[in-house]
Amino acid sequence: MKVRFRILVSTMVMLMGISAYSPAQAIEINVLMEHIDRLWRGDTSQVTMSMTVKTRRYQRSMKMEAWSRGKEHSLIIIREPIKDRGIATLKVEENIWNYLPKINRVTKVPASMMSGSWMGSHFTNDDLVKESTFIDDFDSVISFEGERDGVAIYEVTSTPKPDAAVVWGKVVMTIHQDNFAPLHAYYYDEEGIQVRVMRFDQIREVDGRAIPMRMTLIPEDKPGELTEVLYEEVAFGITLREDFFSLQNLKQRR
Amino acid sequence: MLLFIAWRNIWRNPVRSLLTIAALGGGVVMVILYAAFLEGMTRQMVQYATEISTGQMQLHRQSFVDDQDLYATLPWHYIERIERRLPEVVAAPRLYAAGLASAGDNSSGVMIKAIDPLRERRVTKMLDHLRSGEARFDAVSSNEGVERRYNVVIGTQMARNMHLNIGDELVLITQAADGSIGNALFRIGGVLRPVEPNFDRMGVLMSIEAYQQLMYLEEGFHELALWTQDLTALEQPQQPQQHVASLLTELHAEQPLDELGGAAMVRNWRQLTPAIADMLELSKAMVIIVGFIIVGLASLGMLNTMLMAVHERTHEFGILLSIGMSRWWLLLMVLFESLFLALISAVIGSIAGTFVARYFEQYGIDFSGSMPDGYDWGGIVFEPVMRGHFEPQHLLSSSLLMITIAMLASLIPSWRTVRMKPAEVLR
Repeated sequence: MKVRFRILVSTMVMLMGISAYSPAQAIEINVLMEHIDRLWRGDTSQVTMSMTVKTRRYQRSMKMEAWSRGKEHSLIIIREPIKDRGIATLKVEENIWNYLPKINRVTKVPASMMSGSWMGSHFTNDDLVKESTFIDDFDSVISFEGERDGVAIYEVTSTPKPDAAVVWGKVVMTIHQDNFAPLHAYYYDEEGIQVRVMRFDQIREVDGRAIPMRMTLIPEDKPGELTEVLYEEVAFGITLREDFFSLQNLKQRR
Repeated sequence: MLLFIAWRNIWRNPVRSLLTIAALGGGVVMVILYAAFLEGMTRQMVQYATEISTGQMQLHRQSFVDDQDLYATLPWHYIERIERRLPEVVAAPRLYAAGLASAGDNSSGVMIKAIDPLRERRVTKMLDHLRSGEARFDAVSSNEGVERRYNVVIGTQMARNMHLNIGDELVLITQAADGSIGNALFRIGGVLRPVEPNFDRMGVLMSIEAYQQLMYLEEGFHELALWTQDLTALEQPQQPQQHVASLLTELHAEQPLDELGGAAMVRNWRQLTPAIADMLELSKAMVIIVGFIIVGLASLGMLNTMLMAVHERTHEFGILLSIGMSRWWLLLMVLFESLFLALISAVIGSIAGTFVARYFEQYGIDFSGSMPDGYDWGGIVFEPVMRGHFEPQHLLSSSLLMITIAMLASLIPSWRTVRMKPAEVLR
């Protein structure tokens, strides 16, 4: 859930960054990415979302609520199903804690488990925690500009800088030219093989920005499997103090 | 007659002869000792590999072997069918899962292993391998009296890393088979002595009942360890393995397994722990190579002794030759002298070697001061006390090795007697 949340936030930030830039002018990639990274910080959000995980063995849906403040803090609480109700994940900077109401314990996710699946989805704990930004950790270029499948898009190819702590070999993102909503993000590993695709659709206007309400993560190595995140309610700029993201609150918010 | 002369000749210089005997006999002792220790280690390895955790054979599904697929289970009725078909076989089912363990501020990734304690005791000695606590897996009521907690048994290294003691609380979190977040509290019931490095570092042993409540996985088991009463199966596992394999084919024909998990397969301990099977072969070759080196060095003493003996008796040999003694008799005499030296060394070396090897078989070399948990080699944790295993056959082979090399070395001095020219040496 945290992962979703972070991706949500990153998407938002990206969109905000783009919208802050005048769309009438030609897109200058560095200015664009700088905007994205700058807007990323200090922003707060509250979302209600549902996540559907589909694997070869099972399909399950969860409803959850998430809050975030900047890129450092986020809190996600599962509302449904009943069995997992109240399980909460708190992220503060590099750390992740889980709260488990059934046994009333808070546990910290150790470094060795960061590449593990988050809440059974195709996102990893690392997806939640990694603080990479496009301007600091990637060199981005617009690799394509024009129509593809009848849609006017920008295609941005981002390759990690040599010393960046990024697991991807490169990330290719396609973005709508008209409303700057992302369309697809393709993730490649260090051998240049595409390992997963994120699909964005169901674009809705929120606070004057075009936001895709649905994201679908499709891992390439597991045919037929996917994790879908659907935002039901999204609110930005709400007031959230830093101590909202505390271990005490983790227990109390259920 | 010649034998008697040769025997008397040895004792013409008793100190020199005794030194030679000491060198050769010492070499034999070293070889025996080395063979005994290597034998002791390989025996411990095989024992660990089979009796303590692996068993003689194991059943898995293909995709469990490939990537620990949680869903690649074998149905429960397989156990009964196998035991009915092969009455001399006992079977112990096991289940595995990855999880996150947490206690206080410490958390760490763990490997959950679920067993049936009753069956497990019949197949392996894993549960007797306790360091502290007891191998108990029952559920006890917690202090709050609300929820029952199952006892678990963990590895030594994990207990140390997470500062866990008997009776402590352990939180386990995992992804259950239905995708939900499995979480429960457990109580540390016991700590297992190191057997396998991975389990020692991150292993949590629980009952199958506790596992099913945590994981919601009830369809079957991941692994079936088999043990046959027939002890030849340890050396020759192929035959019972074929029986099991053909039974698996039958069972599959009756009720096909789902495709995702792959086929069921049976492997013997040599296939399951190839490192150990290789080690066994390697250790045999190592005894021979090291034996050659040790005895070869000791034989240089023999070479030196006999060269000296021949050299100082050059004049004497010259006289013998000139009064008509055959050169070949002389050569034979020198060779007999060497042979006597080698035989005495062999006897003394064997007796001393037996005593030393028996001593180390009894007491071993204790490394527990520097390595209290033993050491691991080839994926097997060894006890910190290194014990030899004496085998009478080693006496014979090392003595024969020594005598052969010593006799080869003595060919050089004896050859000199043959080449001797009486006219020259007598001058």
